[in-house]
Order: sequence, then structure tokens, then C-alpha cells
Amino acid sequence: MLIYILKRLGLAVLVALCVSVLAFALLRVQGNAASALAGEGASAEDIAIIIRTHGLDRPVVVQYLTWLANVLQGDLGTSYFFKRPVAELIVSKIGNTVILAIMSLAIALTLAVPLGVLAAVYSGSWIDRICSGISLLGQALPSFFLALCLVMLFAIHLRLLPASGAQTWQHFILPAVTLGYYITPPFMRLVRAGMIDALSNDYVRTARAKGIPSHKVVLKHALRNALVPVVGLVTVQLGLLIGGSVVIESIFALDGLGYLAYQSIGYRDFPVLQAVVLLLSLVYVVLTLLSDVVNAWLDPRLRVS
Amino acid sequence: MTLHKILLLGTAMMGLTAAQGAAQQADNAVRFAYDQALESPDPYFTTLRLGVILGRNVWDTLVIRNLETGEFEPLLATDWTWADDETLELTLREGVTFHDGSSFDADDVVYTLSYVSDPANRIVSQQIADWIDSVEKTGDYSVRIHTKGPSPAAMEFLSSQLAIVPDGYYSGPAGATEQALPMGTGPFRFDSYSAGGEIVLARNEDYVGSEFKTPASLDRISIRTIPDQQTQIAELMSGGLDLTMGLPRDQAEMLAQMPGVAVESGETMRIVFLQIATSDESSNEALKDIRVRKALNHAIDKQAISTNLVGEGSNVINAVCFIDQFGCTEEGVTAYDYDPDTARALLAEAGYGNGLTLRLHAYRERHISEAIINYLAEVGVTVELNYMQPAAMRDAMRSASVDLAQNAWGSYSIYDLSASTPVYFGGQPDDNNRDPELIEILTEAESVMDPDARKELYATALRRIADEALAVPMFTLPVYYAGAEGLKFETYPDEILRFWEYSWQ
Amino acid sequence: MTDTTPTASIPTPGASMKSPSRLSLRRIAEQPSLLVGGGIVVLMILIAIFAPLLAPHDPFVQNIAARTVPPVWYDGGSWEHILGTDQLGRDYLSRLIYGARISLFIGFAAVAIAGVIGTTLGLLGGYFGGRVDMVVTFLTTVRLSLPIILVALAIVAIFGGSVTIVVIVLGLLKWDRFAVVVRATAAQISRLDYINSAKAAGASTFYILTREVLPNLAPQLIVIATIEIASAILMEAALSFLGLGVQPPTPSWGLMISEAKNYMFFSFWLIAIPGTALALLVFAINLAGDGLRDLISPDGRG
Repeated sequence: MLIYILKRLGLAVLVALCVSVLAFALLRVQGNAASALAGEGASAEDIAIIIRTHGLDRPVVVQYLTWLANVLQGDLGTSYFFKRPVAELIVSKIGNTVILAIMSLAIALTLAVPLGVLAAVYSGSWIDRICSGISLLGQALPSFFLALCLVMLFAIHLRLLPASGAQTWQHFILPAVTLGYYITPPFMRLVRAGMIDALSNDYVRTARAKGIPSHKVVLKHALRNALVPVVGLVTVQLGLLIGGSVVIESIFALDGLGYLAYQSIGYRDFPVLQAVVLLLSLVYVVLTLLSDVVNAWLDPRLRVS
Repeated sequence: MTLHKILLLGTAMMGLTAAQGAAQQADNAVRFAYDQALESPDPYFTTLRLGVILGRNVWDTLVIRNLETGEFEPLLATDWTWADDETLELTLREGVTFHDGSSFDADDVVYTLSYVSDPANRIVSQQIADWIDSVEKTGDYSVRIHTKGPSPAAMEFLSSQLAIVPDGYYSGPAGATEQALPMGTGPFRFDSYSAGGEIVLARNEDYVGSEFKTPASLDRISIRTIPDQQTQIAELMSGGLDLTMGLPRDQAEMLAQMPGVAVESGETMRIVFLQIATSDESSNEALKDIRVRKALNHAIDKQAISTNLVGEGSNVINAVCFIDQFGCTEEGVTAYDYDPDTARALLAEAGYGNGLTLRLHAYRERHISEAIINYLAEVGVTVELNYMQPAAMRDAMRSASVDLAQNAWGSYSIYDLSASTPVYFGGQPDDNNRDPELIEILTEAESVMDPDARKELYATALRRIADEALAVPMFTLPVYYAGAEGLKFETYPDEILRFWEYSWQ
Repeated sequence: MTDTTPTASIPTPGASMKSPSRLSLRRIAEQPSLLVGGGIVVLMILIAIFAPLLAPHDPFVQNIAARTVPPVWYDGGSWEHILGTDQLGRDYLSRLIYGARISLFIGFAAVAIAGVIGTTLGLLGGYFGGRVDMVVTFLTTVRLSLPIILVALAIVAIFGGSVTIVVIVLGLLKWDRFAVVVRATAAQISRLDYINSAKAAGASTFYILTREVLPNLAPQLIVIATIEIASAILMEAALSFLGLGVQPPTPSWGLMISEAKNYMFFSFWLIAIPGTALALLVFAINLAGDGLRDLISPDGRG
């Protein structure tokens, strides 16, 4: 077990390093970092000073290592646009994104589990078809289109929910529903497959044969087994959600990380973009690492392969 | 009337009329949205309109322009005289305090003007302060400004953009400061500021002002960045916002039919024009051919765009300036009519009969960009649109990497041509033509005190711009304000929201 | 927008798999989802191919005196512009028809690039195993850890938005699922007897990979490709919606939605028409993909 964890950890560190190289390259391909840092109207002397103080005249490898060392100490550089420390900007925005991700996940699960169970129990019937239809639709509707339609219905027509912003928990409902619906299908499919599997198992048949009411069998025995793989998917989806809310955050003017990243693309504010890309990648790496370790702990067979 | 519209009207009538407006009236606040994030809350370090608006609401200038008479009136300075063409002496108001309670005196004025006029500190718009040579303190409440030469636009800048900050406010160049929140003497103070997020202003209870800028009635102003116009509209219709500005004509007109929303339109000083890059650094050789530039002028039906897309309050212009600015004239300025055939012929003559590809940089009014692209396509010019944030576009222009720049210039609300034409043709950073003759004329005009001589110089420059077809002047932009019913506000051509005058009915 | 097409929906390679040649037309006819989905997709492809013949107007010609004319079934609509005109007075039906070209082209071209990259990596990793496999797995993990939409946005912002750039960016970013599935299947196939006998007979590695292994992967590849095409079309729409994808005046459905969103509270049809077209196309592709999956592995449905 320990060897497996160490191996897995080693891979995670390697991946993280590789991503950091890519993120570092992102800042370099877009042109002259020194004049961007110096700001407009800077004289040739100002730029020369920046080049010296930031070590931009040293070999690229040295620059990368210096940058990496800074990142590891929490120094993510300075925003070209806001002229503030990137770390400060990220800290002020990440809370909203995490709330949104968790709410979306909760909504996706409350939709996916009942639908998946229904589809499995009535596998092959019209109920199954409707459930998979709902899920297919979720994947076909562009999330931005769904978001706009929800705003029109719930914010303007019914006046139940705010149209944008992040001031109260109500502000998160519409964006969370949009994102949640979009990620429902993979969960639903997984629950359905797991349930079909579990329902055909011997112990469920035995339980049924013993005369335990059908709904009890489904909920108590089969569902518990079917939910195990869902836990793994939750961690992966959480990582994707934190990174994937760019469009939704910008439509709802929800002041989070995705919105910050979207703005920074518009402003060519590459230090911010670089930091967000790096951060999101690391979140994904850490979450998949955790999920792998938990799975290996639950299922010893995985450790061998 | 479609079912959809009936639904919309019905629900709007039920909800908005009383409930939402009343809630905001009760806490005496206004929620305002702007579509671009502010790079800095300091008006010296942003060119964004929102920065100008904050500048006027949070800070004070030495003098203020009376919008009815056009005269300069007292604000932080109670009295002033020109000792000679290059020396201005001002007496300052006593009893004024900054938002932290410290009192205002001559040191603050000397500090502010010295800081902003030093090029090393790199304020974004150098021209508003580069006429200042030095400032000296002549008493606790009196200062003397020495100019670099005759500076006819000095009072204009002193009454508009030159906001006074407290002594020692900055800790370094480029606006670096140790202060947690920006600070001035204006009718509102910063309550909170989140970079790229919400800005909250609160009323300055100790505001002194003058007869021409009075204490505020509203308690609070909250300003959010909402980049998507449809989200702004949704917020307005659902009562989540009290005021927005700058909606396109179509949306403003449709909003006006909604109960609970009041729409006001106003003419502005903002001019739209395509700047054609011809400088030596510019890489596009085609644009250095005057026939191509004339063809571009003939190809675009600016009247049709102005009438149909921009709407009432938009006037076609032929000179790159706002007509009410001192020195702006269309007399003797060549006007190019819409004539696609001539445009095609000119392009063919210049050797581009088989087509030409140009880049268009734009940062606002994307629908106008698209109309322009379609007009140019008609005469065989393919346009690649580079639509970006204003700061990014400014960088592109200043690094001479644009062909056509769609500018919408508001002259910082300054009624003098020195705030418009020279910015793009007088050798300043945004000049993508670098025409030596124009630079000479426009520079000379900035140091001539005789009004008639100045006017003549400006007219010569405007004629040359048109004859050389260095730009495609298009039209003025009206601005549409949409607000909750019951909010009392007045609009001005200078597009400045004077929040201190706003109130709920 | 998240990149979350379910991995669970990919058929697990195994004995139940059928080779395409064994699939009779009768079995295809038994798959209603494949028939309906495939039918819609084929129809859209035909519309895209014959756009110049079908479109009643030039999709680029504007008439700013006749803007946002409603579709024919509303008051004020006319048969001249069946689906009305957009905010610049361009015929909406014609733009919609030409828009199908953009969406389909980007979907197919991006996935073609992604398919080549992913299949090559997967084949190499699965067939050779060992160090080669470690490198492939590592590359796939790195790719998966990158926030795809953000990276795509950043690259498009740096290099400028155009159909070509969008295709290349999506192609370079969407190969991961191909690699994962092909690698697993190739590893299984390469252990089978007939591969060993081919090796013994002295066939070159290249021959084995392209002639023996690859054809057996075809069913999986087709299923993944449909899922990925749908997802690539949605990503293009999202990029264009954010203003960083295909640039105007190109009629992309995502861009049309983006330009119509300001009108949505007043002229809902402006956004509903391209929105529905986009959702229908993606729905049909996914439906066809589901049908194909069932066809290939009837026992592994779900």
C-alpha cells in the first residue's frame, strides 16, 4: 500500500512539474514580459531595470527555476492589469468558485441518483428511455444557452432569483443549476450501470427471494454498492467544475476564479492566467491522487495492476 | 404582440413598479453596473470612463466648469489670476478635509500637481499635466503654477481631470500607494474596493464643495462590473440594478417600453472614427497609399450606420473632433460621401482590385465593427476583427501593431480640441500616423494664447487629416441610460454621472 | 462549460464486441436512436454541403434598414426572410444554413486531428507497453490535468480567433479519450494469438499495428469520435460565445447566439433559432453515438 501511494505521489509530482513548465511557457510565448511589467510609457531605462531586477537576462532554465521557487513560496507574481499581487487576487475570488462547484455537484447528484436508479430498475422500458433522454438533453444543450433561458424564466418572468452576482446564496442557484445539469449525465450513467450490475447480483436476488419489499432491496442493498464508483467520479468532477465555470461565471457576473481568468484573457494579463491554470491543474492532480489512493484502499486489487 | 411579450409585460408590471424601487429608496442607495473592469481606482491610472466618473465623485478639482455658462467657477480654489501667460496664481479654500479627516491645504496641491506632471510617474494621459513646469507654495492656502509655455487649455484640465490627492499619497511611480483605499475630498468616499469586483462609495458627510458641486443626497453607490449587456438588462428588468449606461440603441428602445424602467438618451462628446495607421513603424504598406485610405472613406455608409444602428442623438462627423470643442470645425474639411463604386475604382487603381486584407482593432460597439466589416467586404476588403479589452487595444496601438483602430473617444469630457485631435495625430503615444506636419501644427496650437490664431491652426490640421484621409471620421455616439423608475438623475453630454445630484423620488 | 462527457459510456473492449462486417442492416434498423440521430446528422451534413444551393440569400449581405425582421410566423414576418433577419439585417435562415458548415467542419476536423494524435499515442502505448506506455500514460495525465476551456481560450487569445486556429486548438486538446481507450484495447489485442503469429511470420511492427490492430479498434474509434465531435462543436460554440472563437462576420452558431443574447428578452426567436439548431445537432450526434455503442456491444449497454 505504502509503495503504491509513493509511486502514485511520484507521478503526481511529475505531472505537476510538467504542468508548471507549460504554465511558465504560456507567459513567455505571448511576447515581451519586461515591457508588459514596466507598463506603458516606460522608458528604455525602466525596461532595462526590470530586465535586471527580474532576472530576464538569465538563461530560461534559471528563470524557470526562480519562478518555480517563488511559486512554491506562494509568490505568484504581479498582475499586469490590476498591478496587485496575483496571490491576493486569487485568494479573494476562489471562495465563490468553490461554493459554486460544491453546489453544482450537489444538484447533479440529487438529479443523477434518482434518475439513475429509476432507469436501472425499469431498465429497457420507456422510463429508462425518458431518463436517458433527459441526460442526453443535458449534454446537448449548450450550458450558456441554458443559463440565459434560466435567467429569463426565474429572474425576469418569475422574479424568484437574482440574475447575476454573488452576494447571497440565492445568487448561486441559477449558475449551480446550469452547471449541475450539465454534469448530471456522467453520474446518471454511472449510477444506472452500477445499479443494473448490483440488481443482478446474487445477494439481491436472494433478498428478493426472501420476500424483502422491492424498494428496500433497491435502496438498501443495491444502491449502496452502486454508489462506490460515484465517489471517484465526484473528485474528478469537482476538479473539472472548479476549472470549467469560466462561461457560467462570466454570464452570471459571478466574481470567482473562472471569471477572473476570463477577464485576464481579455486584458492579456498573463501572470494571472498562468497562476489560475497552474492552480486548477494542481487541484485536479491532488484530487485524482486522493481518489486513487482511496480507491486502492477500498479495493486492494487495484494496487497490484 | 407575441405570447412571450405579454408574459414579459405582465410579470414586469406586477413586480417592478413598486416593490423593487421602494426597497432601494428605503436605504437611499443606487446600484450601478458598468461593463468593463476598472484597472485602477485612481483616475490618473485608467482611461476608462468609469475612472473619470469616480474621479469626479470621489475627488475635487481646483476649479469647476459651469455647464450652463461655460465659465470656470470656484471649487477647491476660491480665486485665481494669470500673473502672465505662463504663471497662474490660485487661492485655496479653507476648511476642506480629505476623507480621512486630514485638512486640505497648499501642500496637497503642490504634491499632486508635481507628481502627475513628472513623466517618470507615468500617468496614463500625459497631456493633461505635461503643460505644468513647476508648482510652488506661496502660503498655507495659496499656490503658483508655472507652465512650460503659454497653455491655453490649462483651466480646462484644472477643471476636469486634475483631481487633488493628499500630500504624500503615492509611495512610488505608476500610482503605487500604501493607502488601503483611494482618498480625495469629493462628495463620496470609497467604502470598499475589490479589484475587478464590486466598488462601494458612501456619502462624504463633511463635504464642503461649492455652489457648483454640492453635498450628495444618496447614502451609498454600489458599482458592479457586469460585462454582458444581456445580464445588465436582466438585472434592470428584475430589479437587481438601478442604473446602467451605454446600452445599444435597440436594447434601450425595447427597455423603454417596459414598465418600471426609465430610459434616457443624451448626445455626448464621444466621437467614433477609424484611425488608419500610416506611420513608418506600421507594417501595412497598402494603407500608406492615399487611394486606399480614400477608398475606405468612400466604402462605409456612416449615415446609414448612424441612423439605423446608433440612433437618435448621433450625428455624422467629417472632422476628428467634437463640434462643440474649442477649435473644432468642419469648414473646408473634405467630406467623403458613401460611394462603393468610387471605392472599388480607387482600390483597383492602387493595385488592390483583387482584394486586400486589413486588421480592425475595436474594444466597444462590436455591432458597429461588424457593420463596418460588411461594408468593407462589399468593396473587396477583407477585415480580420481583433476585438479586445480597452487596455489591450491601447497596448496594441502604442506598439504600432494595428491597421485600423475603431476608436470611440470622449475627450475626457474636455471642451477643447487639445483633448481630442492631438491625442491621435499630434505625436502622442496613440498617434499611429506620426505625420510631421500635423505634429508641428498641433504642437504649435497648444502654445498659442490668441484664440483666433489657435482656431486657424486647428482648422489647418483638421483639413490636412481629411485631405490625406488619415482617418475615417464617422459619427458621435449618444449614450443611453436605463434606470429604475423613481431615480432622479440628469444626463450630460460629457457622460459624467454626477451622483451627488442623484436622488430617489 | 465543462469537459465532462462520460467515460462510463465508452464500450468496454471484450469478447462481446462485433466487427463492423458482421453488423447487418437489419440490426442497424433495430436501433431507433441510431436511425433518428444518424438521420438528423446526415440531413445536417447535406444542408452544410449544399448550403449555397439551399440558402435563399447571401449570408453576408447586410441591410441595416431592415434589421431584426421577425420570422414568417410572427406579425411583421414575411416569406422573403423565413426565419427573419439578424441585428444587421442579414437573412437568418441563410446564416443558419451556412453556420451548419462551420459547426460540422470544426467538429469533424478537430476530432480528426485529435483522433490521429490519440490513436497513435494509444496504439504505441498499448502495443509496446513498458516505458513507451509510461510516457503515453504520463502525457495523457498531464493533458487531463489542464483546464481545457481556459487553455483553449488563452491560446486563441494569443494567436487570434479563426476557424483554423479553433480547429487546431481543439484538435490538440481533445485527444485524451482516444488515447485512453485505444491504449487499453490495443494492449488486449496485442496479446491475442493472431498477432503473435503475425509477429512470428516476420510482419513488420508498422504492418501489424496498421493492418492487424487498428481495424479491430474501428468500432471504439467511431463511438469515441461521435462523442468528441459533439463535444468539440459545443466547445467551438462556447469559445465563439465568449467572443474568442470564430470571428464575425463568419456565421457560427455560437457567435449567432452570442450576438442574439442582447435581444433575447425582447426577440427570443433570435437566440432560440441558433440555440435550437446547435442543441439538435449535438443531441442527434450523441443519440447516434449511443445507438452505435449499443450496436457494437449489445451486452454492455450503459
